[in-house]
Amino acid sequence: MDNSVYLFAAFSITWTLIFVYVFRLFRAQKALDARISAIKETLQDKIELGDS
Amino acid sequence: MLLALYTIFIYAPLEKTMGVIQKIFYIHVPSAFLAYLAFFITFVASILYLYRKDSKWDTVAHCAVETGVVFCTIVLITGPIWAKPIWNVWWTWDPRLTTTLILWFTYVAYLMLRRTVKENQRANLSAVFGIIGFINVPITFFSIRLWRTIHPVVISSRGFNMSGPMKVSLLIAFLAFCFLFFCILMSRIRLERSKMRVEELNEIIGVMNIKK
Repeated sequence: MDNSVYLFAAFSITWTLIFVYVFRLFRAQKALDARISAIKETLQDKIELGDS
Repeated sequence: MLLALYTIFIYAPLEKTMGVIQKIFYIHVPSAFLAYLAFFITFVASILYLYRKDSKWDTVAHCAVETGVVFCTIVLITGPIWAKPIWNVWWTWDPRLTTTLILWFTYVAYLMLRRTVKENQRANLSAVFGIIGFINVPITFFSIRLWRTIHPVVISSRGFNMSGPMKVSLLIAFLAFCFLFFCILMSRIRLERSKMRVEELNEIIGVMNIKK
């Protein structure tokens, strides 16, 4: 077998692993940012209700 | 990173005996060093946590382990892919390979420990684990000097065992991987801090609901 196949496999697996991990981090960060915004809105509503 | 790919595939010459497969070395070696660096960060952060009891050091230690495990996984995948055409086996119980596998299991165990231990004990136990687990790093690094091994020695007492263009390519690949490593580590720390903020905000809402 040509050794280029091994080289291709090594590079593609490495980059796939890095991309999957970075994508997971990105998705988790996005979900958390959305949760923080939702919580802030809830808090804001509660504070406004308390004032009135 | 594009410059690194250019130097790896175009600038760096083909190694005489291994040929094109030697180019795996430009991702294998930087990944190994960055895994060691990540575990060293964990070691320092764990000591600082135990000394100052500041949760920010626990977060740094945890995030560095996760990033280190990713880079250690790359080492354990690219190594056997290189070994198959060169040694004619995917895996052999060579001291360097075995100690690296033990290192990987150690830090996977660290991550599993964090998930299973109660929250009030988590940071302390993880810090102790992070300090003790680091013992494996110098053992892994010096395994090729301490025991008889078939693993190639890249850095010896005489410096780097490679030609000039190969050294330049390795250096550029190393810098590119360092940049990637710190970007990933910083993103991971930011994510962990966001999680803590969510927990804090949830607690505030809980307190407000009780007061009502």
